[in-house]
Amino acid sequence: MTSHVGMNEASCSRSISDINSILEFAKLDPADFRPQVQCLYFSEQLENDAVKLMELEAPLQEALQAGKRLEIRGDPGDGAVIVTENQTFEVKEAETSNSMLMIPSLVYGSNIPDEGEQNIANQQVSSIIHNYFELKRVKPRLSKLRALLSENPFRGTECEGDEQDTGKKYTFSELQHKVQASDAELKEGLIKMNACELKGFWRLLDFEYASTVLYHILQLCEERDWLHSGLSMVECLEVLEELFPGEVIKHLVRSHAKTDQDSMETDTEKDVYYFCEDKICKHFAELCLKNSGKFNLNDFLRVWQESVSDGMQTSLAQIEGMALIDSDARPPVIWYYNVDLLPEDVNERFEVLFEERKKWSLEDITPYIR
Amino acid sequence: MSPQSVKRPSLVSPKVEEKEKYFGCFSPGDAAGQKEWGIVELQGDLETRHPVPLSGKFIGDIHFTHKDAPVLIIGHHILQGKVITLEKPLAVLVKSSRPDSGASEMDTRSDDKLQPMTKPQSSTTYLVEAIITKKILFKTRPKPIIAHVPKKL
Repeated sequence: MTSHVGMNEASCSRSISDINSILEFAKLDPADFRPQVQCLYFSEQLENDAVKLMELEAPLQEALQAGKRLEIRGDPGDGAVIVTENQTFEVKEAETSNSMLMIPSLVYGSNIPDEGEQNIANQQVSSIIHNYFELKRVKPRLSKLRALLSENPFRGTECEGDEQDTGKKYTFSELQHKVQASDAELKEGLIKMNACELKGFWRLLDFEYASTVLYHILQLCEERDWLHSGLSMVECLEVLEELFPGEVIKHLVRSHAKTDQDSMETDTEKDVYYFCEDKICKHFAELCLKNSGKFNLNDFLRVWQESVSDGMQTSLAQIEGMALIDSDARPPVIWYYNVDLLPEDVNERFEVLFEERKKWSLEDITPYIR
Repeated sequence: MSPQSVKRPSLVSPKVEEKEKYFGCFSPGDAAGQKEWGIVELQGDLETRHPVPLSGKFIGDIHFTHKDAPVLIIGHHILQGKVITLEKPLAVLVKSSRPDSGASEMDTRSDDKLQPMTKPQSSTTYLVEAIITKKILFKTRPKPIIAHVPKKL
């Protein structure tokens, strides 16, 4: 559809009488209107791409008004996301068949005096816009974080720089740019993935290596009866720092134990730590299952219980989301199936899950879809 | 003008661009939150009779009634509109490029020569020029102005 714009008027030359004569043609009475008339002109620098419009969700508006910067994150080619300090929003571009005329200094009726002499305000349309960005809150896209950190897991100080040490290592600021998550979600993801900051780089610990260090820590605990009285970080570091980096020891203790004060974040080495039975048991189950294929369930339960420290009790509830059991098989079997390795996308995840099993009971599938 | 059915907006996912790799960010402009731009939304497009650039051309007059109802007169058409408060405010973003702050960092190497740590990277910044909370929407069929009423039927 077309509306023909007057071609003959020179720029900004309308007079009150021009305006009133068209009102008269239109059978409209100037007295019915507020005295200020706004005459619209296209700007001499009309540029439709000069500005973009973006619908603001409340958290983004609050952040902007508080003077915060929002960042676009991801590698080139990733679907764009915008993050606040703690949320991630997917960006979609919407097109509309309507024309939006952008008029920077347009005055709305309520701001125009109700009475007075007729007067003219010339208004410039700086651009005509047909599209805008919509934002949708999404979950952080953390599977990339796992993939990046898996490029070069830490296998011990002596392995740094060896022939296998070829993968890239990432600092927090590099991860900020590549991973599509807000800072808070990224930090949470790193903690959940059990990543550890070593010499400025965020690393996953190689599972075999972490098992070795944890084994030494637990051995020491048994020697000194720390499982009951609590582990002293200072003493633990004194003994084991010769063998392993202090950061790794601290990281493994903190991720498998609690302090009295529950102060996981603090760096006070004077804290006393108490190991969590569930976390230790889960670690040993992973050690048994990870590279074993299908394992006779009863054999597994026996080996698992024998592998954990004295006084700890294993239970299948501890390894929900880490292993699947086929009780109909003769004999029943268990195998490694970790929720952390499933796709993030809901549809993809269901597809993978139903490739694994044609039928799921609600109880079995729940740990994998939470 | 003729009425046009309103199409559902089509949605596409914009991709992160190469130059936005480092610091694509929005910074609030000086007056963000205070400055409010106006939007006049029309169905369809504005066209001139001849394909000439629109820059500088006159479009029409906007009047407000005493009850704040907007009336737009374009050429020989009257449009009755409404001021609408947006469900979600719109940010007006202006793209600007500037060198990365990190690009000027120097690294003293053992050979005592100053070397830039990274090649200068330009980054894209979107400044929030204004936040828009309402617009004028003209969605009714435009009424023609009949300039010369015949004297006799």
